[in-house]
This record gives sequence, structure tokens and C-alpha cells, in this order.
Amino acid sequence: MNTNVSGNAYVLTALCPVRNDCTEDGVAYANKVRDLLQEWNFEQNSPMAKVPGTYLCRFFVLDDVLTESLPTGSALDVVRDLSPYVTNAMRQHAMPRNDRLKSRYLVFTATFHGGPAADLDGYLRGMWQVIGDRIREVWCYCYGFNQVNDADTFIRYIKSCQLSAALFFNGSNDETLEAQLKGLYLKQELSRFAGENQGLSPVELRKNFAAFLERVAPADLSGPMWTPGQYRL
Amino acid sequence: MSNIAGKAYSMNVVTPIRWYTAFVNKLFFRIAAKRPATIRGLITLSLIHYAHWVIIGKNQFPHVDPAQPREDLRYSYMLFFSNFNGSWDQYVDSFTFSIPDGLDLFWKWNVRYPKSVPLTPFHDYIRYNQLETIHYYSAYPLAASNDIKSAQAVRKALLAFRDDPAEPDEEFVRRYRALIRGLQHDFGDMYPAPIISMSAYQVERRQRWHDGRLPQESGPEKNSNNVKTPFQTG
Repeated sequence: MNTNVSGNAYVLTALCPVRNDCTEDGVAYANKVRDLLQEWNFEQNSPMAKVPGTYLCRFFVLDDVLTESLPTGSALDVVRDLSPYVTNAMRQHAMPRNDRLKSRYLVFTATFHGGPAADLDGYLRGMWQVIGDRIREVWCYCYGFNQVNDADTFIRYIKSCQLSAALFFNGSNDETLEAQLKGLYLKQELSRFAGENQGLSPVELRKNFAAFLERVAPADLSGPMWTPGQYRL
Repeated sequence: MSNIAGKAYSMNVVTPIRWYTAFVNKLFFRIAAKRPATIRGLITLSLIHYAHWVIIGKNQFPHVDPAQPREDLRYSYMLFFSNFNGSWDQYVDSFTFSIPDGLDLFWKWNVRYPKSVPLTPFHDYIRYNQLETIHYYSAYPLAASNDIKSAQAVRKALLAFRDDPAEPDEEFVRRYRALIRGLQHDFGDMYPAPIISMSAYQVERRQRWHDGRLPQESGPEKNSNNVKTPFQTG
């Protein structure tokens, strides 16, 4: 059972270790990665808008894991706090331990249309083909990425960093991205048409609706529709 | 930093879990995946696009290069990633109010998990363990999860609607009205959310770029990689 799959939707989770090194300016590679991704926010649209089939995706840098440092209000803790015979060392031992990561990780997760075959390879290949240069500019600071020089090695690399989902919940749908974007376009257009064409004679309504269908072309997934990442109407 | 892409918010929560209870958690997740009835409560939270949990064993952090130091951790870690609509408070509160038991079942064995009720300690726990997204992309920033679901209903209804030229006009109108009536719950205009990104500055720049005013205002500039962006004129 592939836990990364829900219907035709696929969720990819990759933790790519960033090298413990600095640029010539003394900027840690992890911070360089962070800066580069931050710059993506200032472009007209995300480079990921070009990657076929991407529903949603995110990037962040995991600097370290989190330590739960607070005591609880459990009976055991209360006894420890009240008892004068419990030493500080024993109290501290009862607290959660402090874990530290030895590397920082570039975390990349993407939810995309994987189809019935859950085609991760196809998705990563498409990603490399359309934004290979943008991938290289960010991932070049990661351990092991110097072995990546084409789509096949990129697929192998991401798979070596991939973690399986324990549970994947799909609260949306798993249509192709084109079908989703076409649907959103049709929803917007039909809502407007219905509002603007009230109270017409049957002949006029029919004529307008025929023109509407011809304009919006419901069956044409390459025709008028929203574009990936479109944020203005 | 950008936890927001249009109407979607990205949440990342990393929590420590003991290795022997991580095993139990994995078992619960496996059961939930095989028996969708167990996550029925999640389905009622229609503000969610997609969400997933990952449990990394303490020895399972990716190690891809001999030069990379191996991790030496005491705990396993549970990662939670969610894409939802609305504000942080709305989302966290809706979990607490709708599926407190389910939530506790998934997080129960995480170190210092306070349970989802009462609300304030739960808020504190999530806030403390949440990590900010640097770059977040949504293919449909103008749409909420419910818009995407209803859009498919509209598309399928339109594809099924055939205009037969031999049909009288009155019969066409009857079918047209039935179509519109049947889609009442799926209609609605979509517009940009008040905040399209966390950075108001960024929104303003985009607006000016679309209006054609940006090149005159900012002049040529390049980012550190000399990668040209649509804002750059040089």
C-alpha cells in the first residue's frame, strides 16, 4: 500500500540535507538556500507554476528539531516538585531530552496529480525539464547534489531524500490540474452568465447560452481556462 | 517567509515522539488509511485542501553523502503538513471543536502533547512547534478547497448538458433552469483574498508591475544570482 497516494493525488515529502559550510561572504549555506527561496516570493509567480501537475507545494529550511522544555502537571511531576528529597539533577532527568540535528534540511513537499500509476518519476522529470536551472540554484548547497546532472540523477536524488507519508488526507479532489483549472474557470463564468441572463425570452436565452458554450468550450482542456498560479482575474 | 498563497495557508508542525510510541502511532495511521471511516471527522472540515503526516524514526533522517554527519537523536519526530483556507485560529479551533478525539488519537503519544481541549495549551503547543514556510505555491490562489470541489460539479454538469437543435425553446429553458437550480450550491464569484501573500510590500509591487508602473519606479535591478524576474527591466 502506497501511503503517499490518495486516488490520483500524490504527496511528495523530501528532506534534503544542506551542507555545513559557508559562502565566501560567510553566509551559511542553509541561510543562502533560505535567501534564494525568499527571492522566489518576489517574482511575478513561483517557478513551480511551470511544473506540470503541481496542486500545492512548499519549501522551508529545518534548522533543528524542537525540544519540549516545559514540565507537565502530571501527578509524578507534582510529587517531584513538592518533595525536598528530589535533587535538581533528578528533576532535569525527568524533563524531555534536548535533541540537536547535525545538519540542516531543505524540506520540500508537493501535492500533485500522479495519475493511476502514482507517477513520481514523471513529475520529477517534468520539474527538471522546465525549471532545472532554478532547482540547481537552490539544491546545489545540499549534500550529494553534486552527483545530479540530468533528470534521471535528479529523480534518484530526490527519492533518496524522500520520506513516506504515514497518512495522506485528500480534502479536495484528484482531477488533473487542467481539469481543476478549467472547472474553476467554468464555475466563475457560469455564475456570471446565470446572473446576467435572467428574465430573457426563451429564444434570446438559448441564443446567449449557445454563444456562452462556444466561448467557454467546457470540453476543451487546452482552451480558455485559468492558468496555474493565477492570482488575478 | 510566506505561509500564505492566496486563499491557502501552509502549516508545518514538527513534534518529538518516543520511538516506542512512534510505532503505535504508525499503526493508528495505517488503520486510518485503510479504513476511511476513521477519518470521517476530517472530511467534515471542508476547509482543508490536503494534509499529511510523516513519522521519521530517530535513525531515518536522509543520509545521502559520506561527508554528511549521521544524526544521533533520542526521539523520533512527527511532521504534520497542512494546506487549508482561512486563518490559523479558525483552522486550529475547528480541529479542536470538530474532532478533538481524533486529534488526540494522532498526537497523543507526542512528547508534552497537552490534548486538544482546553484550547489555550493546545494553541501554545502548535505555535511552539510550528515552522514557517519560506516559499509556498498554490496552483489556484483565488480558490478555496470548496471552490475546487464545486468547480468539478459545474464542469461535469456543463459537459452533460446538450443543446438539441430539434428541441423546442420552452423545453430548453426548462432544462437550463434545472441545470442552474441543480448547481445553486456550487455557484459564486471568486476574487483575490485580501492578502495574496504575507508580504504587503510584495502585493504592492505586483500591483504596480501589472499596472506598468514598476519599471519607472524601480529601474533595473538584479537579484544575487543575476536571474531576471519580471519586475526587472535591466
